[in-house]
Amino acid sequence: MITVTTLRKTYGTRTAVDDLTFDVAAGRVTGFVGPNGAGKSTTMRMMVGLTRPDSGSVRYDGIPYTALRHPARVVGSVLDARCMHPGRTARNHLRATAALSGIARRRVEAVLTEVGLETAADQRAGGFSLGMRQRLALAGALLGDPQVLLLDEPSNGLDPDGIRWLRTYLSDFADKGGSVFVSSHLIGELAMFADDLVVVGAGRLLAAESVASITAGNEVTVVVQTAQPRQQLELESHLTKAGLAVATDGPRLKVRHSSRSAVSAIAFAHGIAVLELSETSRSLEDSLLGLTAATAEFASA
Amino acid sequence: MTSTTTLVNHRSGRSDAASLPAALNAEWIKISTIRSTGAITLLTAGIGIFATWATAALVKDEVLVVSGVFVYSTFLTAVLAAIASILLVTSEVQHGTLATALTAQPARWVLVAAKTVTAIGVGVRLGIIGMGTGFAGGLLGGLEIGDTSQIAATAGWALLFTALASVLGLGVGMVVRHSAAAISGLLVWWLVAENLLWAFMPETVSRFLPFYAGGALLGVDVDTNTPETIAVALTPTQDALVFGGFAAAALVAGTVLLHRRDTN
Repeated sequence: MITVTTLRKTYGTRTAVDDLTFDVAAGRVTGFVGPNGAGKSTTMRMMVGLTRPDSGSVRYDGIPYTALRHPARVVGSVLDARCMHPGRTARNHLRATAALSGIARRRVEAVLTEVGLETAADQRAGGFSLGMRQRLALAGALLGDPQVLLLDEPSNGLDPDGIRWLRTYLSDFADKGGSVFVSSHLIGELAMFADDLVVVGAGRLLAAESVASITAGNEVTVVVQTAQPRQQLELESHLTKAGLAVATDGPRLKVRHSSRSAVSAIAFAHGIAVLELSETSRSLEDSLLGLTAATAEFASA
Repeated sequence: MTSTTTLVNHRSGRSDAASLPAALNAEWIKISTIRSTGAITLLTAGIGIFATWATAALVKDEVLVVSGVFVYSTFLTAVLAAIASILLVTSEVQHGTLATALTAQPARWVLVAAKTVTAIGVGVRLGIIGMGTGFAGGLLGGLEIGDTSQIAATAGWALLFTALASVLGLGVGMVVRHSAAAISGLLVWWLVAENLLWAFMPETVSRFLPFYAGGALLGVDVDTNTPETIAVALTPTQDALVFGGFAAAALVAGTVLLHRRDTN
């Protein structure tokens, strides 16, 4: 369990992280999302002792990171996939990282295989694609067989196969009891495997809940198309009489605050044939963009 | 993934000290697996052999012997040792591996100690290579070996010079953290600024300039030596203390900054 308590960091007059408090549970994947400049990377750097917080604390089962006796065996972190000497081979990069933590050399070969880099082990990292660097950086994080993974934008540069592999890997890691804390700007991607989300904006905590809780309040709209235009008017009338909010959208009707089964039942009761009947809802991405919109430092027009 | 929770326990001063051999091993792997280490070694050997061979071939108005000239290239060897040790830190900052190291070993003094020992090793190794190839260059240039009774003492002071130059480079690298800025700053001070200061300072002050004191450890009789400078010259031990003092100050400053600064 990671416990982040009133974490705060300022640079001059700018507050990068503003009294953040949240937990990361064991056995779950926790996504860390927010717009550019929200303070995600600063928070993650404070979580591994690279940046000194002005106040607040981060504890791993009650112990600050910098007080851990074997940090690599508790927390595996990737904060920047470019962190490797371009002239050093993948194997030697991992050998040096393992040696510093007193980790046996056989783990180097094991993690190279685990991330699928065994055939590139003797190539210099300078010739690696960003995706290969991501895999090598993840291999470095896994060297200590840690209980916690902290990953900052780990899917950057990965191809679709790589992204699927990473998603499966992190889900399996959590299923085995590990804690995964992963930041990403790809909200749709996170939605596919995160159990919980920590949402930040302008350094402040906006939400720390399960994905299910965040999407539970989203409004559902039923889209229905009848076989004939006359039947569309008829169905609209019946739906309105049933107290539903109906809007016409070309050949379709959009029914808010209802369900597919309810609309279907009304159409069936009046003998109206339908060509299309579907539900749409705000995506997790819409929900999160709604949460962070007010705090976004850099927004698209 | 390890299921035991016994790994989640506190570090202590004793456990930090126990991790020093691991940190040294990591430093050794780092310097032995990049090409710049080999390049600096080759350059040191090349300069060593060429400097003494050229001296033997070109200087005809003095009686030169190998036991006197083998140390001539050590001044440049010390420059290269300082550069190599600057890169021990700045290369890690530039490529982000310092952050990786600090997450693996939060006890920053352990990293500083490991790098200091490594820097001393780099300085001694390059010093031996430079003097060894200098010896060979003298022989290739046709010089007699000469009186060998002082060779061990000369080599010892010279190795102390290259080792301390290396530590000084490490300290400068930790303070400046940028390869080009640290190397150019050190070279400008060493080869330009200090010579200008030496020219305008009284001998009683200029003898405390860092590289003037360090270079004096080589015991080479240079043209700039005058009766006045010789009269106030420090002993080799005093020269070593002056140069070592500057190296220690740079290292302490770098260590304090490493503890205080955030690492990106």
